[in-house]
Amino acid sequence: MPTASLSRWTMSYFAAALAFLLAAEALAVAGIGYPAAGLAEPATLVVVHLMAIGWLSLAMAGALLQFVPVLVSRPLAFPALALPALLSLVTGLLLLCGGFAVLAGWINAPLDLLPLAAAGLLVGFALIGLMLGATLFNVRPVTLFSRFILLGLACLAATVLSGAAFAALLAGRGGWLGAVALLPDGLPFHALLGFGGWLGLIAFGVSYKLFVMFMMAPEPPARRVLPVMLLAGLGLALASGGLVAPFAGFEPGTALVVAALGLLVLASGFYGRDMLALYRGRRRKALEINMLGSLPAFAALGLGIVLLPAAVAGGATDGLIAALVFLLALGWLGGLTLAQLVKIVSFMTWLETYAPRLGRGPAPRVGDLVAMPRTGWWFLSYYAGVAGGGAALAAGGATGFRWAMLFCLAGTAGIVAELARVRRLSEIKAADRPVAQERPRMLLARIDQRSPSHVDSRRIASPRA
Amino acid sequence: MSTADALPARELDVRPMLRAGEEPFQAIMDAVGALSPGQSLRLIAPFRPVPLFSVMANRGYAASDRALGDGGWEVVFSPVATVNDSDGVAIGSSSSAAFWGVPVLELDLCELEPPEPMVRILEALESLQPGDVLFALLAREPVFLFPELAKREHEWAGNFDAAGTTYRLLVRHGGGGAGH
Repeated sequence: MPTASLSRWTMSYFAAALAFLLAAEALAVAGIGYPAAGLAEPATLVVVHLMAIGWLSLAMAGALLQFVPVLVSRPLAFPALALPALLSLVTGLLLLCGGFAVLAGWINAPLDLLPLAAAGLLVGFALIGLMLGATLFNVRPVTLFSRFILLGLACLAATVLSGAAFAALLAGRGGWLGAVALLPDGLPFHALLGFGGWLGLIAFGVSYKLFVMFMMAPEPPARRVLPVMLLAGLGLALASGGLVAPFAGFEPGTALVVAALGLLVLASGFYGRDMLALYRGRRRKALEINMLGSLPAFAALGLGIVLLPAAVAGGATDGLIAALVFLLALGWLGGLTLAQLVKIVSFMTWLETYAPRLGRGPAPRVGDLVAMPRTGWWFLSYYAGVAGGGAALAAGGATGFRWAMLFCLAGTAGIVAELARVRRLSEIKAADRPVAQERPRMLLARIDQRSPSHVDSRRIASPRA
Repeated sequence: MSTADALPARELDVRPMLRAGEEPFQAIMDAVGALSPGQSLRLIAPFRPVPLFSVMANRGYAASDRALGDGGWEVVFSPVATVNDSDGVAIGSSSSAAFWGVPVLELDLCELEPPEPMVRILEALESLQPGDVLFALLAREPVFLFPELAKREHEWAGNFDAAGTTYRLLVRHGGGGAGH
């Protein structure tokens, strides 16, 4: 059946993701990591990986487990793997931070924490890839949207495998790599594939689909979207080439990073044009908080992606490059994810609570579950922090950066509180809420197991797969 | 998508006829009669031809209309899926849909933001009798509606029109268990 149900563990993914975001922001406020430490120092790596894996990857994975089945009209394959994947990723990330803490000299433990962490992350991401890949391959022909996700998953694999190799090297167990100089030459490609491929490219692909739905905008034809995927795919292929080049005896230079980034700039340009067209062509005139809250994220993308290759090519300071990466990670990916989480959580909560009641009594609209304009103020605080943080990094102001991160932390904490209130139906008058045992649980979707007996579920070719 | 779905729509502009004071109904019916199986009819009229919608629905065509800038309307009548082209019907569709009665209610929900179409359909079903059939046009496949229809023991059949832009859905009120 082309039916989609609620993904049981998505709320747990979101909760874990938000907890890691708060932790990363708190560390930054405390002055841990760049700019107090160097870009490649362990303290910075802790904060970066809490952001990249803990926050962005878990949120992305949770959202994909819910929306990939919706967007391809197929049930999720192997749904029982969602919890083991989450546990494995969280364990792997905590071990990774532990390993970096050993490198930083904060704690005393064997460095083998690092390869162990890599194993946990490898298993967790492999399970995510298996669930999503198997779901997508159930649909023939493979659509352009599916290709975005599959390409993103391939980048994820390259990122995780290169990360695992780095972990082995850092733990002093990289002997099998021989004289291949993966570190530090591979770092920019590892980051490019993670942020640009797994997170960025999938964010591109998903936003085409979700924004059409959220704004009632006409869906752009595939041939218009294709250049985005081809250009980004080419750029990411170059980045993958940069990772494997040392094995072939080549030394990938800055030029390769710049070329890969340049292609991503072109892809982003086409993507930006299409997003603008979606906003302009929307039939739903009033913008909801998720779409308003995404606007600064697009601005951050535009600014960050255009300047980054120029900065890398021109041999800019660490500060400027850090500022631009910060803008892309927290402004574009982080802001977009936070904004869409508000919509996704409220929609899922609404569906879980009210779908069984529709037609049988009054039901609020999805938007009624979100406290406005209060939620908007939290976004303002978050983005003010991002803007201030980016400026402080570029100017080399460590104290200014910590203050800016305080605004990010406050905004994030506010948004987290609002999301918890959405789950509790706090905006609905107490008398209108369902009885306690029928209200949504904070971290786990209620899955109705009633199974219809009479529905013919023969597998017939779908008219538009 | 079957090959029949890929047929270009037949076009009929009745504005010149109406300007000349002629009654276009017969011309429309002739055009419908001349359609190949699976072919759609694109009708251009100076007004939104609402009465025609139910006439065409009875003949198994779903209407999807849009206003042209100049006050005119373009309506595309597309053949609704039946068991005869079940290859083109979405997975999970009831195989008995060809034997269901004429829809007693037609809803055009294309302009509504999800999940409003789902709300409207479930609301409408509560007011129907067991055996009644509802026809709805939607902008997208209502994937979250299907589990709810199944739980309430309603049957459904649906697919996209030839252009792939409008989802056509028939729901037959299942009676048993619904409402409880």
